[in-house]
Amino acid sequence: MNKDKIFKLAKGFRGRAKNCIRIARERVEKALQYSYRDRRNKKRDMRSLWIQRINAGTRQHGVNYGNFMHGLMKENIQLNRKVLSELSMHEPYSFKALVDISKNAFPGNKNVVIPPRKVAV
Amino acid sequence: MKMVNAFNMKRAAAGLRRINLDGLRWRVFDAKGQVLGRLASQIATVVQGKDKPTYTPNRDDGDMCIVLNAKDVCVTGRKLTDKVYYWHTGYVGHLKERTFKDQMAKDPTEVIRKAVLRMLPRNKLRDDRDRKLRIFPGSEHPFGDRPLEPYVMPPRRVREMRPRERRAMIREQKKAELQQQNNDGTKKGKKREAPEESA
Repeated sequence: MNKDKIFKLAKGFRGRAKNCIRIARERVEKALQYSYRDRRNKKRDMRSLWIQRINAGTRQHGVNYGNFMHGLMKENIQLNRKVLSELSMHEPYSFKALVDISKNAFPGNKNVVIPPRKVAV
Repeated sequence: MKMVNAFNMKRAAAGLRRINLDGLRWRVFDAKGQVLGRLASQIATVVQGKDKPTYTPNRDDGDMCIVLNAKDVCVTGRKLTDKVYYWHTGYVGHLKERTFKDQMAKDPTEVIRKAVLRMLPRNKLRDDRDRKLRIFPGSEHPFGDRPLEPYVMPPRRVREMRPRERRAMIREQKKAELQQQNNDGTKKGKKREAPEESA
């Protein structure tokens, strides 16, 4: 009975791990451990992906992620990163409005730019 | 790593059929006067597709990057003579090396290609991203009929010179002025190289 359950969970595994009970049992145990760990990791990875997307979206408008979020915090806009990343992908105009709000609240601390000196090759 | 012996224009335009999507933009980078590493990091960001809000890590979505004037890329400090590229052939004791100057003489596109490739994440998409990167030593490229977009580099913040560097620069400037005064009139107008500045 347990063997059937194990083989059912071992579908799609590589090599003997889907056919032979001794190897399948080990691999299935490992797979269950990984899935336990990754249910927690997924939340972290998704948040990181949202932040990367928001960063890309705001940099298109000249603001980086840190200054953008600081501006939103100052204005007490409590949209979370998931929603912000969806907005940046699918609703560009709304996102631009948010970036403008953030720029008004926190213009950012850009230093004065010195024109670069050319180095001869 | 395999080193290309010379630059081949046909090789640079090849392999376009393997790249799937053509909803991609064609960005043109001008390497003339740009510092090598800073340019390479911007190229790497664009080739990965990290400047688009639709970035997905398991899908390669980067734009096609064309780099022109690769032979005019600059390095700061003493890297022109002191930066060495090492590679090991696999046989015992065969660690080969080549300096930056020699590499530029042999194939200037390899310099930028190595720099960008080493900045990309080492995963299965790296080869596809390499295929999207086309580098040319001069300004000629066979992609004239495509809709190209020039890439504007972000402004660079140059840090202030350290006191010792500043004193060295002032010394060299004074030496150059003295040489100029000596050369005026007596010797032929021998062209002196401008002293290398560290930025």
